[in-house]
Amino acid sequence: MTIADTQNLPRGLTALANPTRFLALVRVVLPVLTIITIGLLAIGLWLGFSVPDDYQQGRTVRIMFVHVPSVWMAMGAYMVMVSGALGVLVWRHPLADVAARAAAPLGACFTFLGLATGSIWGRPMWGTWWVWDARLTSFLILFIIYLGLIALWNSMEEPAKSARIAAVAILVGAINIPIIKFSVDWFTTLHQPASVLRTDGPKLAPEFLYPLLTMGLAFLFLFLTLHLMAMRNEILRRQIRTLQRKAAREIRSANKAST
Amino acid sequence: MSELFGTQYFGFIASSFGVTLIVLLGMTIWILMTYHARRKALAKLEAAGIKRANKT
Repeated sequence: MTIADTQNLPRGLTALANPTRFLALVRVVLPVLTIITIGLLAIGLWLGFSVPDDYQQGRTVRIMFVHVPSVWMAMGAYMVMVSGALGVLVWRHPLADVAARAAAPLGACFTFLGLATGSIWGRPMWGTWWVWDARLTSFLILFIIYLGLIALWNSMEEPAKSARIAAVAILVGAINIPIIKFSVDWFTTLHQPASVLRTDGPKLAPEFLYPLLTMGLAFLFLFLTLHLMAMRNEILRRQIRTLQRKAAREIRSANKAST
Repeated sequence: MSELFGTQYFGFIASSFGVTLIVLLGMTIWILMTYHARRKALAKLEAAGIKRANKT
């Protein structure tokens, strides 16, 4: 993959095809994103703990302020990976595989949090930690897909080879995203239907909606911050690998010359 | 917030926020530690005279 391969991309993305230029951008953007994330988390938590008790859920309604944003980010991270997969297969953007690979552990963490906090909320509200309904099961499958993709990347040493295989696997796994979203409409589930992301507008009372949206925004900025940091790590990993191979080649040719 | 302590569902609320804090903080620390380890490894290679093409 070369920068020349990315000529058909929009101009902004082409500029970022150079990892050195991308790392310079990360250095500037990261402190700003960190400050915004901390600020939004502080406001979101303060708003979340200031809400009145819900008439049905009581105080446990506060669990929603970490559960729902985690679920949004679990699915959002997968959509980032889908964009990365398309970037690998269609535009051959050098950073597309880096972006997809960096998003996978983050997506897995947010999916785990969605499952864990949902289970903790379910015990007092539903009387059970877990049910095999369509929403919970499809979300568990998302977690398994994340783990599978991480294992796939780790099992292959050569980034150019693993990128294409992983990209195809990501696109196949993307079928699960609409299943998660619409499972509550297509099947009879214990999980309640969507109350925020609806075509006819949110059904949540404003005193719960605004803290939830603030926490959602905070989690989005947290994801963006961690994703840029993880992408930077992945670029460094590839640079180290290139240098190690170069060192091995130099040792080999030096040995050949001496014999 | 103080009225939450000792209430019926306090354990569930605290464990939800607790697990979120542990996972997200753990993830952040892991990413930062990886970054410092890789910067160190890269510096070590460059100090040994092995440089990237655009750095020579």
